[in-house]
Amino acid sequence: MSETTFKIQRFSPEKDKEPYFQEFKLEISKGATLLDCLNLIKWTQDGSLSYRMSCRSAICGSCGVKVNGHAMLACKTQAIDVVRKNKVILQPQGNFKILKDLVVDLTEFWQKVEAVKPWLMADEKTTPEIERKQSIDEFHKIDRASTCIMCANCYSDCCSTDVDESFLGPAALAKAQRFVEDSRDIEKLSRIKELSKDAGIWDCTHCAECSQRCPTDAKPLEKIVSLRTAALNNGVLNNNGARHAKAFVKSIKSSGILNENYLPVASVGFANLPGLLGLIPVGIRMFLRGKNPPLIHHAIKELDDVKRIFKKIGKK
Amino acid sequence: MKYALYTGCVAKGACRELLTATYALAEKLGIELLELKTVSCCGAGVISEDSPDLADTLNARTFAIAEEMGLGIMNICGTCQGVMTKAKANIDSNEGLKKQINETLKDGGHQYKGSVKIKHLLSILIEDYGLDKIKEKVTTPLNGLKVAPFYGCYLLRPFELSPFQDPDNPTDIEELTEAIGATPIDYHGKLKCCGFPYLMMKKEQSLTMSGRHISSAKKEGADCMVTPCPLCHLNLDPYQPESAKLLKEKLEIPILHLPQLVGLAVGLKPKQLGLQKHVVTPQKITAKIES
Amino acid sequence: MITHDVIIVGSGLAGMRAALEVCKDLDVAILTKVYPSRSHSGAAQGGIAASLGNATEDSWETHMYDTVKGSDFLGDQDAIEIMVKDAPAIVREMEHFGCVFSRTENGLIAQRRFGGHTNPRACYAADRTGHVLLHTLHEQTMKQAKKIKVYSEYYMMSLIVDDGICRGIVVYNLQNGKLDVIQAKTVIFCTGGYGRAFKITSNAFASTGDGIMAVYHSGLPLQDLEFVQFHPSGLFGQGILVSEAARGEGGYLLNGKGERFMEKYAPEKMELAPRDIVSRSEQTEINEGRGIDGKDYVYIDLRHLGKEKILERLPQIRQLGIDFIGVDCIDEPLPIQPTAHYSMGGIPTDNDGHVLIDEKGTKVTGFFAAGECACVSVHGANRLGTNSLLEATVFGKRTGKAALRFTQDAKLFDVNEKEELKKSEEKIKSIFNSNGTESVFDIRNELKESMTINCGIFRSQEKLLKCLNKLDELSSRYKKGKISDKGLVFNSELMEFIELGNMLDFSKIIAQGALRREESRGGHARTDFAKRDDDIWLNHTLALKKGNEIEFKSKPVTITKHQPEERKY
Repeated sequence: MSETTFKIQRFSPEKDKEPYFQEFKLEISKGATLLDCLNLIKWTQDGSLSYRMSCRSAICGSCGVKVNGHAMLACKTQAIDVVRKNKVILQPQGNFKILKDLVVDLTEFWQKVEAVKPWLMADEKTTPEIERKQSIDEFHKIDRASTCIMCANCYSDCCSTDVDESFLGPAALAKAQRFVEDSRDIEKLSRIKELSKDAGIWDCTHCAECSQRCPTDAKPLEKIVSLRTAALNNGVLNNNGARHAKAFVKSIKSSGILNENYLPVASVGFANLPGLLGLIPVGIRMFLRGKNPPLIHHAIKELDDVKRIFKKIGKK
Repeated sequence: MKYALYTGCVAKGACRELLTATYALAEKLGIELLELKTVSCCGAGVISEDSPDLADTLNARTFAIAEEMGLGIMNICGTCQGVMTKAKANIDSNEGLKKQINETLKDGGHQYKGSVKIKHLLSILIEDYGLDKIKEKVTTPLNGLKVAPFYGCYLLRPFELSPFQDPDNPTDIEELTEAIGATPIDYHGKLKCCGFPYLMMKKEQSLTMSGRHISSAKKEGADCMVTPCPLCHLNLDPYQPESAKLLKEKLEIPILHLPQLVGLAVGLKPKQLGLQKHVVTPQKITAKIES
Repeated sequence: MITHDVIIVGSGLAGMRAALEVCKDLDVAILTKVYPSRSHSGAAQGGIAASLGNATEDSWETHMYDTVKGSDFLGDQDAIEIMVKDAPAIVREMEHFGCVFSRTENGLIAQRRFGGHTNPRACYAADRTGHVLLHTLHEQTMKQAKKIKVYSEYYMMSLIVDDGICRGIVVYNLQNGKLDVIQAKTVIFCTGGYGRAFKITSNAFASTGDGIMAVYHSGLPLQDLEFVQFHPSGLFGQGILVSEAARGEGGYLLNGKGERFMEKYAPEKMELAPRDIVSRSEQTEINEGRGIDGKDYVYIDLRHLGKEKILERLPQIRQLGIDFIGVDCIDEPLPIQPTAHYSMGGIPTDNDGHVLIDEKGTKVTGFFAAGECACVSVHGANRLGTNSLLEATVFGKRTGKAALRFTQDAKLFDVNEKEELKKSEEKIKSIFNSNGTESVFDIRNELKESMTINCGIFRSQEKLLKCLNKLDELSSRYKKGKISDKGLVFNSELMEFIELGNMLDFSKIIAQGALRREESRGGHARTDFAKRDDDIWLNHTLALKKGNEIEFKSKPVTITKHQPEERKY
């Protein structure tokens, strides 16, 4: 087998002003993971190459790294699968400050996880002698979220975090959902209220990078959506995101198709003067081009059938 | 080739030029479209946040109607395509859900069977129509036009719902671009998010997101961007001046809908493609093409 | 100099559980060379044993007998009794903390069969029990963030013990290369195992026995290091654990002839015989040419369980096969080989985690140990599956409680900060300035090769002497080891260098101890002394540093309810 070029981003704060790429050549042996390759490069070519690793069996979450621009677990990735034009590009996880080479500063990540109070808040007064009972269904609800290994790959590729550092991020929110869905937790409503605030569940842009890069079953986007559903079901509605969702549903219920003049106004809130004023510039721009949604909004044909479905399934 | 055209809400509202361009292009290429007029919004991933069952049922109704017409669905919106693919996968993998949905649909006279095919215009052009045939139809090759594709999240992730072989390295729009004589541009942000889903919640962040992508494309020499999703188009075009202000940069990159780009190459005029409706005027590129 | 009432080294199940006890009244800090949720406890898959009786009738008495028998009668029975009696309460307490357990139809914690256990008592969460337990304790630790300080990515360089009094530790901050002394009234070690000395191991890269070597170098004894458990099912070539749950759920072990060979070695329990027996059976099949295609591995076949059962009960195992060797156990049998998995040996303690300085049970002041690094000893010569997670939580809590009681009346003892720092500084300096030429990679590989072949599943005087010779050679070469990274920030090359030194040192103790123990018991199998010899060897091995030599002593085994008998399955 021929040699593959590993283009690895290096940076040592003690000697370098900026990160740079260094190329290594290595023959990928059969079945070798990316971590196997990194180790071989470190142990036989350049001992100063630094990266995190421990269990090498995809359970500790140490070895998250960007491979050809996308976050993966080095130990779980077959090296041969990520070779593009005989090259593999390795960089540290995104959205973090770099400590050295492929090692990033995880402080903010852990702070955000701690911020969602990731521990069971049960009713201490009714704690039985034996285990609290949970049905198999209730177990299934939290089983998948509990597979998260805190590898931060979701956080690395999160588009919202990229533009706004204050966003709690997918891992913290998915962790929070694990407790909101836990039948033993009694703080569901207060958790949802906290999570509906700024930097919480409504600050996700739905790009699905987190779910795609997640190496376990935790799939954060699904958990964020589940939290939104919980918020909407529990009447936690005083924010743009919830208003937007409710207005959207209302609009479809009333005409089968979205009324795009109504939606932005309902989302920011009819009494929200600054928000409404903020809509004016784009409104004028579009109007001048004839691009604005028609002022008279037409419903779909056979609206009755849609209304019937809303009545049957939709919420009161 | 005949398809049931699912327009989606935006093509009837803030992006009517997309619908205009779609019809114009379809006619030029000889693709017959029957517009689905009795179907509802797909939910855009928002209805499913409020009520997953409601969203799935509404989409199943759309699928059933297309099945009754005996036609495959053509989507012109990436978000609709992603949402529908997900809804179909949900329903098809859950017998209980499918039964429940059909119970509801029964009273409206519809039944979802599961045979419907759902494709985006992009996939239809590449897979069903064929790049060779498109090349034959090109009368005005867009030589020298540098086009930066913006794919949009709903066609890319999660992988199991994407129409692309390798969603981290899709080439469909690039191949289409080359087939019509233009030059595809690679840039950072090509596969990222435009920010539209949370425009109403976090306007500055949302527009910074789209602004950065436009800026990257511009730095790589793009004359324009093209996108298969009108929701992405909304963040990239009418809000572009605001993005420019946030980034403190001059952007002025026109954002084309997919059928507009192809339409220009097969001899359609800008006005036939609704290009005059764009906030960021495509004048520079139409001038370039005409010359 | 940093000061704490209590400093805990190691942030796994035992470490965090102990911290949760101590923080109830005192200032406590946890030190880890990784991050708490990265600790190796999380890799445990199968379950945590407790006689809850949710699946069938069960009793602590049966659990105790199973464990004593499983230990090949080397386990201290008073400690075992404590552990199995505490088990139901400790597991339920974890559930109260929020641990996500699989459930029965009645909503109780689900339990399954496991090798060596008479009744199904392995409480499980699919096949990631260690992971859920670890994360639950991490959640509780985050809840107590104001009371428990966590030093992540700090490496413990040495233990400060003077006049039989433990005074603190010297630490190295991996993120900036700074050395520091942490002075404490009490030190608790929960530093895990030492499987990395072997070529095929389930252990994380971090399991390099740094804790036990710090103890040894400070003049305190180590116990029973020669008892290493080889788990029967490590993924071929990688050593990654394929949980015993695969056998617990009904998997078959097959040799190259397609035979369920366990019939020859444990006709009653078959695949569910204890690990040491299964590993030796596999190794015998391999040694006698009956491996798959005559090679050094066998198969575990799960196909007959069916897709649904595998997806429900063993999802992680299936994914491991797919991700790491490209085999889907729904369609194909998984290639496995014995893998160094658990370290029965460690730091001798009493039943409350107090570290002992001799065979009489004299305690070291202010020093405790719990979890895999400790040797209470509840596992004796061989550990039953699902008893390790149990030991870590039971003794983590118990030790935490004892440490709390002790520390409330304790004081800080003097530490010569300058001296202590100097020792570590010199150690690092000498590594940097050695101008070495020997490849550390080669030394480590040769160490693992030798330990696996000569000090592995089957040992003999000839092989062990060979091994010791090799270790001497490697130690000389190590002194001339090459290092290229002399930086301060995240110098993982330096860490690996120091860890290798520890591995060479404890490998000697393992090999010497194995040579000295002329019998076969539990995980220690001598081809030249194939029988268990209770007359001479029914005792623990203590190893003490005497200059460059190891001095061995014997420590009595506590026998209460069960007199030693032949161990048959």
